[in-house]
Amino acid sequence: MFDRPTDLFASAPPEMRGHDRDDIRLMVSTPDGDIHYTFTDLPGLLEPGDMLVVNESATLPASLPAASRLGNIRLNLSTRFADDLWLAEPRWSPSRPGPLPLKEHEMIQIGEAKALLLQQYPGIPRLWFVRLDTPASCLMAKYGEPIHYNYAPAYPMSNYQTIFSRFPGSVEMPSAARPITAHVRDMLRSRGIGIVGVILHTGVSSLEIEDETVEHQALYPEVFRVPEASATAVNATHARGGRVIAVGTTVVRALETAWTPNGLRAISGATGLYIHPGNSIHAIDGLLTGLHDPVTSHLAMLSAIAGLDRVKKAYGEAIRNRYLWHEFGDSHLLWRQDAN
Amino acid sequence: MKRVSLITGAGRGLGRILATFLAGQGCDIVITARTITELHNVSQSLESLGTRVAAIPGDITNPVHRTRLLQQTRAMGGLSLLVNNASDLGETPRPELARASLTRFRTTLETNLVAPLALIQEALPQLEQMRGLVVNISSDASLGGYERWGIYGSTKAALDLASKTLSAELKPRHISVVSVDPGDMRTRMHQDAFPGENISDRPLPEVTLPFWAWLVSQDPERITGMRYQAQGTLWEIPA
Repeated sequence: MFDRPTDLFASAPPEMRGHDRDDIRLMVSTPDGDIHYTFTDLPGLLEPGDMLVVNESATLPASLPAASRLGNIRLNLSTRFADDLWLAEPRWSPSRPGPLPLKEHEMIQIGEAKALLLQQYPGIPRLWFVRLDTPASCLMAKYGEPIHYNYAPAYPMSNYQTIFSRFPGSVEMPSAARPITAHVRDMLRSRGIGIVGVILHTGVSSLEIEDETVEHQALYPEVFRVPEASATAVNATHARGGRVIAVGTTVVRALETAWTPNGLRAISGATGLYIHPGNSIHAIDGLLTGLHDPVTSHLAMLSAIAGLDRVKKAYGEAIRNRYLWHEFGDSHLLWRQDAN
Repeated sequence: MKRVSLITGAGRGLGRILATFLAGQGCDIVITARTITELHNVSQSLESLGTRVAAIPGDITNPVHRTRLLQQTRAMGGLSLLVNNASDLGETPRPELARASLTRFRTTLETNLVAPLALIQEALPQLEQMRGLVVNISSDASLGGYERWGIYGSTKAALDLASKTLSAELKPRHISVVSVDPGDMRTRMHQDAFPGENISDRPLPEVTLPFWAWLVSQDPERITGMRYQAQGTLWEIPA
């Protein structure tokens, strides 16, 4: 779709580069074209009565050092089923992905604790079901660091939380709300723009994996919850003609799973919903998100919202204007075809 | 304390996959199936995981066999998870209802509905003590009304209703019941249902592992009465 702009990967958060979190660029894509702003312009680009939906999941230090038959490796926890049963990704190192030549029922060591590799995830050989003899929460507290990839080192955990992070459970930061500072939030509120929360705990994205089909990525489920109050607020926004803006692709997944022909309903469980141009978007009018890799399910979702041509055009524009990619990078507000 | 699970039809396919997964999680396992050699193979591979396994061959429509299974689970500490997976596809090739053998229908009903209910009835004291979960394996044929699926489908539809009813009736005793449609899989039963056809496009039963990992991690009392599709996009916890 486009060449990955590796020279544009943001390797450090803005606050580590001497800026405020909201001191990043914001590109707004409408059917009429792409316009450049700064992130603090966001409140003025929305109308009173619009509603932002944010992900309140907080990020865990889910990357654990491990010792195995193959030497020292990393075990990146991905999806919690129970505190001692996880889906996890064994890797050579943060920058070097698997799959590793590990065997079923092989044991790996995390400090004093043991992790038993049960079985590979069907269709995704780099992911394993893992049973821990020590609760993961203890292991993360003792040994964990944030999951990071080759383009960025591990920063202190506070860099991986947003002002909305309340419920620990994501292994990679739901980063779209990262530039929303208290200042931006207050501007939004005073302009009459609502903010409500949902929860979706993210699994690993393993950004460098390119040869997997998006269908496979969609296969692994994520735990989520859309509370009654948020479902009601979104329905009321639609009813009065306001626009609903998902802050992050995780929010789109949660809201679209909760959608019914009668509007959103309160719901909790695990969702494997894969949003792509073949199924329609119902619950949202716009998406505020970062800039994503060319081969990921995120881009399939973006195309479902705005159409492949508009997404391609917007990404070309972002590359020409040297926008920064990934969780510490710049921001992108994408309106649906008929939202304005 | 280790959880004790009983899985019927564990000699191959879905039952085998589920037994292996539960054993890997450290459950003690009782498995049963009619084919002794297959059951023996499963038993050996589970024992290599260091888990306690009792493999008892037999037919679940036989009351003596059912009693033996539950004596075993009691001896291991009491049953926490009962998976009624053993099923009979019925006559093959699958007949239209208009021409179906009623005698054969009765035996299918016996395996798919009466025997699972009998196991549940007899297991109630153990399940109550352990606040256990019953999983009845269903099928999309229970809802479909597909041609030539009337025998198998109607037994599974009846099992679905039994699951839902049991869930309501057993709630006060803290026993939970769900039914699970595993979806199409490349198994011997699926091949029997489509004799001579190539079913290699269907996923292996491992495709259901994420669902089982999720299901056994839930509080049973919060999900009782639900019907899940293991290969579906949503596994809901009711409010």
